Amino acid sequence: MSFFSVQGLCAGYAGRRVLQDVSFTLEPGCLTGVLGANGSGKTTLLKAVGGILPHAGRCTLQGAALEGLSPRRLAAVCGYIPQRSGIGIDISALDVVLMGFNPALGLLERPSAAMRARAAAALAEVGLGGREQENYLHLSEGQKQLCILARTLAAPRRLLLLDEPESALDFHHRYRMLALLRGWVRGGERAALAALHDPALALNGCDRLLVLADGGVRAVLDPARNALPVLQAQLAALYGRISLHRLRGADGREQLVMLKEEDPA
Amino acid sequence: MTSMRRFMASPTRNSKALCLAGTALLAALAFFSLFCGKYPLTLSGLLGGDAMQWRVFWTLRFSRTAVGVIGGFALGVAGFVYQTVFRNPLASPDVIGVSSGASAGAAAGILFLSGAAAVTAAAFAGALAAVCLALALSSLDRSGRRSTIVLAGIAVHSLAQTALMALKLTADPERELASIEYWIMGSLNGISGYAVGGNLALCAVCAAALFALHRQILLLSAEEGEAKLLGVSVGRLRLAVLGAATLAVACVVSLSGLISFIGLLAPHGARLLTRRNGPGTMLLGGLLGGALLVGADILARTAAATELPVSIFTSLLGAPFLIYLIARGRRDV
Repeated sequence: MSFFSVQGLCAGYAGRRVLQDVSFTLEPGCLTGVLGANGSGKTTLLKAVGGILPHAGRCTLQGAALEGLSPRRLAAVCGYIPQRSGIGIDISALDVVLMGFNPALGLLERPSAAMRARAAAALAEVGLGGREQENYLHLSEGQKQLCILARTLAAPRRLLLLDEPESALDFHHRYRMLALLRGWVRGGERAALAALHDPALALNGCDRLLVLADGGVRAVLDPARNALPVLQAQLAALYGRISLHRLRGADGREQLVMLKEEDPA
Repeated sequence: MTSMRRFMASPTRNSKALCLAGTALLAALAFFSLFCGKYPLTLSGLLGGDAMQWRVFWTLRFSRTAVGVIGGFALGVAGFVYQTVFRNPLASPDVIGVSSGASAGAAAGILFLSGAAAVTAAAFAGALAAVCLALALSSLDRSGRRSTIVLAGIAVHSLAQTALMALKLTADPERELASIEYWIMGSLNGISGYAVGGNLALCAVCAAALFALHRQILLLSAEEGEAKLLGVSVGRLRLAVLGAATLAVACVVSLSGLISFIGLLAPHGARLLTRRNGPGTMLLGGLLGGALLVGADILARTAAATELPVSIFTSLLGAPFLIYLIARGRRDV
């Protein structure tokens, strides 16, 4: 039995079905990237799995169905980063991170000192150390994303759903975020599903890639092991003409580099 | 260690000091309110056991001041809750029709019942009916959108306005219409005796519940899907929180009539002073609301030979204060 599985998932919006019969599995300790063109259903997939969108089909985490869990019990096992957090009130960065502990707290209970310390440590981990009391709304878009990442990583969860968590981050922070996510999934019985916009990040940071097209999973790729022509053919279906190369960096590590070739007129 | 200190300290300490100042201001105004009015009360007279003074104190001043303090506090807290939950700085309990429901109820009470207590009860019933109707209508939509409650509230509001208009048409213009208009303008005049006790107790219970749920109220300000995956039963919690806030307001407006501006101004004032949305800010919003209502009521009964509607003064005191805070906020950002 796999760690997390999605079977026959169909989802969409009033009258328009975006995903049709999607099935896939995730292994523990595995960071899976979701690639797809605009409108291919990346966000829909994450929202459906997280129970935000009504859907048909089953999502099963370690043998237990996610459907039908109360929000509290669902949130205790599954974390989510929306494309853009809706927080629009003056609130400190630390309080934003502390929101992540809500599923572990009673309705009227306040976060413990240990949770506050853990939250502060998570902020330091993402590079926002010492800014705990800063107003969340005064942070830059990238820093807000890091703060939400800290909120998601601080509390114990087993499955993370991340919707373009890198979109506002600079080059350096994108890789830092990815390293944090990789560290997180390796840290136990965990898996993460991340819709990513940057193919370079996905190719070099993810263990698996889920390619979405035409309302379904077009392919599941293993960028470290699949042959270049296989990867190239699948990615070309999304991005038009591209070429893919394996290059060795100064640290000796092999990385995939994708170049955009001119599309035929 | 320095970072430890930084995340344990500053804004909370700041809001504590502000709350202390707010409490002191409210207490001073309440004390003044007890001794100010047509019939002169003196501390020495009260301590000396003057029976007439004690009668005035209990039947007129005390209940009036209590409604000012608790009512203003509840309006401030309810405004804070509405603005946070709807993520809209202009949101107030009026959006779900509580005030117009209360007005229609009061008008019906003035026309068909007799006595001030009956009018209060009718206004409370009207407010409650409006709130229940708005919340019930909004729960028909299962998608959990925030805007549904606003739309349902607008529908209920116009329904109540229509009822009010119909009642006004049938009212005798000399007497009944005048009392309907006067009721709607809002006043703490004529609040007396022990009939207010139940309303104020319910009001205090609602406010206490809102303080207990403060952390959840902040979670409701997140985007809906985000809040759900933070473990919040968004729809249910929102109904409970808005229900409690609106019930508190219904208790107040059924006693006092419509009081403008406090629910909008007090929480904004508190936020501009603390620059946060913590429990301290909510408390400060309540304290400012109480101070504003008691202060306005003092002016309403002393500024002219006759009693004036309290709303005139809540706006008159409130607007410059808000403008001052906005100007101050812009300067030091």
